[in-house]
Amino acid sequence: MFSKALFKQTAKAHWVRWMAVTVSTCVMLAIVIVVLGNLGINDIRDSLKNVFIQADQQSELKEKSIDSYELYLTTTDTYNQMSMLQSVIENSVTDFKTQFATLEDKTEENAKFLALSVATEKVNSSFFANLMTEEQKASAISFISATLLYSLQEPEMSAMELVKETYGEMVYTAAYDEALSDGYNDEEALSQADGAKELAFIAIDSYVTKSSSGSFVYNVDNFKDEARVEVNNMMFNNVEESQLKSGVSEDEALQNAVAIKIISNTAITTYQALLIDENFKNSLNITETDADKIQEIVISSARDEACKSISDQIPDKVSEALTELGNMDMYSLIIGSIFYRIAGLLLPMVFVIMTANNLLAGQVDSGSMAYVLSTPTKRRTVTVTQMAYLIFALFSMYALLTVVSVISVWISGGNSFAINYGEILLLNLGAFLTMFAFAGFCFMCSAIFNRSKHSLSIGGGLTIFSLVCTILGLFGSAVVPSAMRINAMDFFNYLSIITLFDTASILSGGLNFIWQFGILFGIGIVTIIIGILRFDKKDLPL
Amino acid sequence: MTTMIKAQNLTKDYGDGRGIFDINFEVQKGETFGFVGTNGSGKTTTIRHIMGFLKPQKGFCQVLDKDCWKYSSEIKKWIEYVPGEIAFPDLRSGTEFLKSQAELLNLKDMSYANYLIEKLQLDVTANLKSMSKGMKQKTAIVAAFMANKDILILDEPTTGLDPLMRLSFLELLDEEKKKGKTILISSQMFDELETSCDRVALIFEGHIVDIANVKELQNLPYKMYKVEFLIPEQYKKFKESHYQVLRDQEKYNQVTVKVFDKDLHQFFNELKNFKLKFISEVNYNLEKYFMEVLNKYQNGGSNVQ
Repeated sequence: MFSKALFKQTAKAHWVRWMAVTVSTCVMLAIVIVVLGNLGINDIRDSLKNVFIQADQQSELKEKSIDSYELYLTTTDTYNQMSMLQSVIENSVTDFKTQFATLEDKTEENAKFLALSVATEKVNSSFFANLMTEEQKASAISFISATLLYSLQEPEMSAMELVKETYGEMVYTAAYDEALSDGYNDEEALSQADGAKELAFIAIDSYVTKSSSGSFVYNVDNFKDEARVEVNNMMFNNVEESQLKSGVSEDEALQNAVAIKIISNTAITTYQALLIDENFKNSLNITETDADKIQEIVISSARDEACKSISDQIPDKVSEALTELGNMDMYSLIIGSIFYRIAGLLLPMVFVIMTANNLLAGQVDSGSMAYVLSTPTKRRTVTVTQMAYLIFALFSMYALLTVVSVISVWISGGNSFAINYGEILLLNLGAFLTMFAFAGFCFMCSAIFNRSKHSLSIGGGLTIFSLVCTILGLFGSAVVPSAMRINAMDFFNYLSIITLFDTASILSGGLNFIWQFGILFGIGIVTIIIGILRFDKKDLPL
Repeated sequence: MTTMIKAQNLTKDYGDGRGIFDINFEVQKGETFGFVGTNGSGKTTTIRHIMGFLKPQKGFCQVLDKDCWKYSSEIKKWIEYVPGEIAFPDLRSGTEFLKSQAELLNLKDMSYANYLIEKLQLDVTANLKSMSKGMKQKTAIVAAFMANKDILILDEPTTGLDPLMRLSFLELLDEEKKKGKTILISSQMFDELETSCDRVALIFEGHIVDIANVKELQNLPYKMYKVEFLIPEQYKKFKESHYQVLRDQEKYNQVTVKVFDKDLHQFFNELKNFKLKFISEVNYNLEKYFMEVLNKYQNGGSNVQ
């Protein structure tokens, strides 16, 4: 079944070609991995990524500024309402305290109930009651009852101080909940809540200072500029503080803080301007008729507009393409899809086509097969030996390539490299199995045909056809960014055996390669068996 | 006597009248058997069947009672083969090729190979690809002969050899024959076969037209003489005598007659009475014989065999 002498003869006849192909493929692979690895071809990707990350961060920042700005205005508005109810609240606190003292059972439940009933009674009996809407009444009642409950904890505080603390607590809780629901962790949520509470206190303190100056009439417009400045200052302080904490130099921290302050200021100014801009309102094409709803839409649109980042400003398709480009792994594309499936297959393919043809058809065609077959060597022995050589040659070629690729990956940084050792081994195994399938097919053609030209044109032709289809199919496959992709070209992938060597799936950790490798191996085995059986039975013109 | 090679009703029809049809022959041990025929007559096809390279459509051929197709590798134990088309494996030098071939033959002793190389004055160190046709032929002959097996099959072995080399080759062949080897040789050259073969088969358009026994041809009981007369009347008169006329050329007053050895004396006595321009003995050889047979075959359409 196997002839050592023939194997030696075949190896001698083909070693130059084997060396040429193996060495040049190894060099190509080493260059691809090592040189490109050190050039940092992923830099472009990283900078693209940064642009988008920064844009998203800026957008977030702007949103926060506007939120804070709104909070500031809401706070002054709420505090204004409460200060009008000052006497009511003061009465309520005194009444609540005395009634609570007489309470037999001082449970939390009872305290709550008492606070609510006192607040309800006082609000309804006050002369403001007729001026307030039911809604305003309800919110005043719930706020006052919360204040009353808080007075139990701080018995020394004046009524308006209690109001301030209660409001601060409410803002704190609301900000904390919102931060958690936005996906921040507990620590961040707490710091955000702290910030919100602090800002609310600033707003209240500012209101108190202003109202104590005599001829004070509350108007929300008076607070708008103040709110903007305060928010800007807060952003500045936050950033400077956190930057200094993270070890950035003072200058740099200041610079960043200024930059943030400017971003915040721009966002709020834009927002303010858009709210009163009739043109903007008209451009929204609002179909609603209810004034409140119109206002709601205008506010949310103004917010969106003011918070826009770069990625929102460019067209969706371009932004998608850029994002995809940012996420694309150049190493996987070049090493996986271009080297292992196309460039690195070409030379081994030429070796397989020429060698497989030479092993049988070429020797039958020229007549040199007569010398082997005029010795007591069976045809089966000839085919098995020649096939063994072809597989051995391919195997040793890929064994060397594997060694070279592993060393190259090691030089490029080992497991911290974009492609790890396991993946590079799988890529080599896959390329070997792909070539094994082609080798089987070319060998079968070589065994079936008596003429080199037929064996070469069918075996070699279809093999090269597969490679060309893979090249064309690359432009339709998912590894190419959508900006360059032509989906119709994906059709070519269905015409190529190489499609079963799915480098993209291997590099993204899929397991599809297991059955695909199985099919490649199967194609090789089946074609080899067909070739061997056919060669036993055919006429040889020797 | 052992039958070494046997073909019976061996047929391979390639269509368009090409191929071989109902080939029958036997080669006995120690016999040298020749195949002669024009290009494409079927010599090589027949040999390929014996080598087990082709599967017969009908009939069979055997070597030492083993079917050539079925036992194609077993029969090679006895066969040495020089193919008609010389193409060597992709190896560098003649030495490398002969070494590789010896390994395939499981041949350890190269002394006979060296003797052959000497005899054929072959430079084995030469590059296989740049060898001349004659050099290649010699290399092929050494590769075949060196195993020293019982049966030699040679497909047009002398093409490409210069006349001197042909002579040494024929000498070699004679040596092999004396060792008692059975030889099957094909050629386009009658004289070559005539000197080395015991029997020669003529193949024409895939059919064996005749198998001639060379010894018998050489030892015919008659001679042929070509006689030209000076006087036409005498020419006419001679024609009417009892000798069998083989060829008659009236224009030149020439006649070729067949004279049995026992009548030789009488023949010359009779000729004394005629005025002759010349007389010469016509050599009878294989070529002449086959030409006659072929003429008869083509005209009569009947197989002589």
